[in-house]
Amino acid sequence: MPDLKTFAPQGMLHEGWTAQVDDYALACGWTGNGDNLLVGDVAGGLSLFDGKTGALIWAKNNIHQGGLLALAIHPKGDRFATSGQDGCVLIWDSQQGEILHSIKPGRGWVEHLAWSGSGDMLAVAASKNVHIYHPDGVEQWCTEEHPSTVSSIAWSKPDELASACYGKVSFFDTARQQVSQELKWQGSLVSMVLSPGGDIVACGSQDNSVHFWRRSTGKDAEMTGYPGKPSQLAFDQSGQFLATGGSDQIIVWNFQGDGPEGSLPGQLVLHPEPVSTLAFAHEGRILASGARDGSVFVWLLDHNGDGNPLGGAFTAEKISAVCWKPDDTALAAIDSNGRVSVWPFKIRG
Amino acid sequence: MYQKIPVTILTGYLGSGKTTLLNKILSEEHGKRIAVIENEYGEVGIDQGLVINADEEVFEMSNGCICCTVRGDLIRVLGNLMKRRDKFDYVLVETTGLADPGPVAQTFFMDDEIRDEFTLDGIVTLIDAAHIDQQLERSNESSEQVAFADVLILNKSDLVPEQSLVKLESRLRDMNTMARVVRSTQAEVPVETVLNLSAFDLDQILERRPTFLEPEYPFEWTGVYQLDPGNYQMTLEDGPDPEMSLVAIPGQKADEDALKQSAEQCVRLFAQAAQSLKPGDSIAANQHLSLELESKGAKSFLFDVKNEETIGFYAQHTAEEFDLKIIKAGQAVSPIKERVWVAEHEHDDEVGSIAIERQGNVDPEKLNQWIGTLLAEKGVDIFRTKGFISYKNESRRVVFQGVHMFFTAKPGQEWGDAPRCNQLVFIGRNLDEAQMRKDFDECLI
Repeated sequence: MPDLKTFAPQGMLHEGWTAQVDDYALACGWTGNGDNLLVGDVAGGLSLFDGKTGALIWAKNNIHQGGLLALAIHPKGDRFATSGQDGCVLIWDSQQGEILHSIKPGRGWVEHLAWSGSGDMLAVAASKNVHIYHPDGVEQWCTEEHPSTVSSIAWSKPDELASACYGKVSFFDTARQQVSQELKWQGSLVSMVLSPGGDIVACGSQDNSVHFWRRSTGKDAEMTGYPGKPSQLAFDQSGQFLATGGSDQIIVWNFQGDGPEGSLPGQLVLHPEPVSTLAFAHEGRILASGARDGSVFVWLLDHNGDGNPLGGAFTAEKISAVCWKPDDTALAAIDSNGRVSVWPFKIRG
Repeated sequence: MYQKIPVTILTGYLGSGKTTLLNKILSEEHGKRIAVIENEYGEVGIDQGLVINADEEVFEMSNGCICCTVRGDLIRVLGNLMKRRDKFDYVLVETTGLADPGPVAQTFFMDDEIRDEFTLDGIVTLIDAAHIDQQLERSNESSEQVAFADVLILNKSDLVPEQSLVKLESRLRDMNTMARVVRSTQAEVPVETVLNLSAFDLDQILERRPTFLEPEYPFEWTGVYQLDPGNYQMTLEDGPDPEMSLVAIPGQKADEDALKQSAEQCVRLFAQAAQSLKPGDSIAANQHLSLELESKGAKSFLFDVKNEETIGFYAQHTAEEFDLKIIKAGQAVSPIKERVWVAEHEHDDEVGSIAIERQGNVDPEKLNQWIGTLLAEKGVDIFRTKGFISYKNESRRVVFQGVHMFFTAKPGQEWGDAPRCNQLVFIGRNLDEAQMRKDFDECLI
C-alpha cells in the first residue's frame, strides 16, 4: 500500500506540529495553563508535549497493567487522573509526571473519570459503582450499586453528579450523599452529555437514537433514525446546540424556543466515514469533528445549527479525540495509529 | 484486505466442561493470541494472560423486541479490545451456564462498531451427556443453547452407555439439524472442530451443508409375521389416538436391508391420502390405511392369506401402545421380527429444526415476501436460519443466514450444470412445519 501522506491543513487550520506515541492514542488534554498537551495511549503510555513546539517533556510507559481506559485533567491543569484495566486510579502531577496518589476503588475496570468544576472532587466510575474522591485520593462517598455497568458520568452542578447506565440517568447530591433525581428509560444509554447549565441531559442509546430530558420541566424526547449508534455527543457553551454523531453526517439539534422536538436538525456533511469524535470550542458556535477515516473538520454553525467548514485536516487513521486549547487558538487531534497533531486555529494571512 | 477478528462463543450449563475446553484450546493454540472474555467465574482458573472478566449484561431496547436485545458487556469489552487489535487475533467468549445465546449472537449484527471489527465465527455448546436430558426438560436456556449451536460437544460421553448416547444424539439432531455433533470425554476435541468454523460466513454455508442424516419416518413400528393360509384379524385395544395409519407389505423379508427398502416405499404410501377403515373392514395390501379406533374396547380388522407368506405391517404407533395383535382362530401369532423406527417428533421438544429441500427455482418476489413476513411474525421463535436457494435468472446460488430477525443473503457459487435446488433449515421453537413447507412450496415456480 502506498504510504498515505497526511494532507496539509486547510482553511483556518494551519500547519503546526505532529508527534507519535507508541500505541493507539486514546485520550488527550491540555495541562498547565494550556501550555502543554498530554496524550495517553491504550497500552498505558503517557506523553506530555510542549504545546507550541511538540517537544516531548516527559513520557511514561505501562502505567496501567492491561491498558489505559480514561484520562481526566484537573480544571486547574496542574494535576490529572488516569485509570485502567488494572482497576486503579492514579492522580498525577502534570509538570513532573509523578504519581501523587494511587487508588483502587474495586475489582473491575475503571472506565470513566470526571473532575468537578472546582476540582475539589474526582468522580470515578468502576463497573457498577461511582466513587467520589478528594484530590488527595481520600474517598468521600460511594454511590449504591447501579443496575448495570456505568456508561458515563458528568458533573451537572458544583456538587451534583450525573451517571448513565442501562435503563436510567441518576443524579447524586454529593454533599448530602443521596440520589436527587432519576430519569428512567428502558434502553441502553451508551453516552451522556449535559448542557452547560445542567438542565438538559442527552444520552446516546444503543438502539440508534438520542434520548434527552429537560430536568426543569421533566419533559423528555427521543430522536430516532440514526444509521449507527450516536455515542458522540457535544453541547456548545450556550446550551443551544447539541451535536451528535452516529453516521458520517453530524446532526445538530437546536434547543432554542420549542425545539428540537418537531424541528429539522442541522446537518453537517463532509466526512467520508462515520464521525468518531466531536468537541465544541470554548467560545462561539465553533465545532470540531473527527471521523474514522482520519478527516478532521472545524465548522461554524449558523443560528439553525447548519454550518460551513472553516478548516479541515487529515491524518489517515481513525480520530480518537479532538481537543481545543483552552484559548481556542489551536486544535489537537489524536488517532488510532498513535499520531498526535496540533494545528493552530486562526484567520489565514 | 481488512480482516475482522473472529469470535467463538462457548455456551453450556455449569459443569459441562467449558473452562476445561477453553484451557485446552489455549494450551494447544500457541500460534494464536487469544483474548478471553469470561462471564463465568468458575472454580477452575484460566491459564492465560489476556482474560477479561465481565458480568453478563443483557440490554433490551426501548421497542421491547427480543430480537434487538444485545449484550452490553460484550459491546463494552470488545469496544475496548478493538483498540488493541495488534495484541490478539482471536476472541473466545465463555458465557454463563444460563446465558441466552440469542443476545450474544445478535450483538455481532446489531452494533455497528462491533460488526465492523469482529465476526462471529461460531457458537459451540458443551453438553453434559449425563445430565442434558433433565436440563432440557427444565430450562429454556438449555434448549436454546442447543438450538443456536454450530457445534454440539457431547462431553462426559464416557459416563453414559452407548445406547443412551445414540438416543441423545438423535434428540439433539431433531432440535438442531444444522449443528455438528461431536462426542468427547473431558472436553478432548480437536481444536479445529471449534475454532475457525466461519459458520456465519455465507461462503461457507454451501460447503458445510446441513446434514439430513437419519431420516424420520411417519411410522414408529414394523412387525413382520410368517403366516399360514387362513382368515386373520388384527385386533387393537384402546390407545392414545382415535386413528392410526397402517400399510401392509406382503412378501416382507425380515432382514434390515429389506425392512429399510420397504420403509422407503411406505414413506411414499404414507404421503398419499389414506383410506379409512372401520372395525370389521378388510385390510388391503400396499395401501395407506387409516384405522378408525374411536369406539371403546377391542377393534378388529380382517385379512385373508391364500398361500403361506410373510407380511410386514408398518404402523404409525408401536404395537405396544394399542396392544396390537394378529390373531388366527383365537390364537395370537408372534411376529418373526419387530423394528422400531426413529419417528418424527419423537421427543416432543418445543425446540426443533425444519429442513426444507426442494428441486427447481423459486420466485424471488414471493420468497422475499414469505421470508419477510415469517421473520417479522415469528422472528422471536426462529433462532437461526441457513441455506441456499435457486433463482431462475441468477447463475449463482443465493446463500443466506439469519439470527432471529437479522437476515443476510448474497450470491454464492455458480450453479454450472448442477440441477437447481433449494435447501433451507430453520431452527426454532414451536414452528408450524406443515405451514412453512406449504408456504415455501408456493414460492416454487
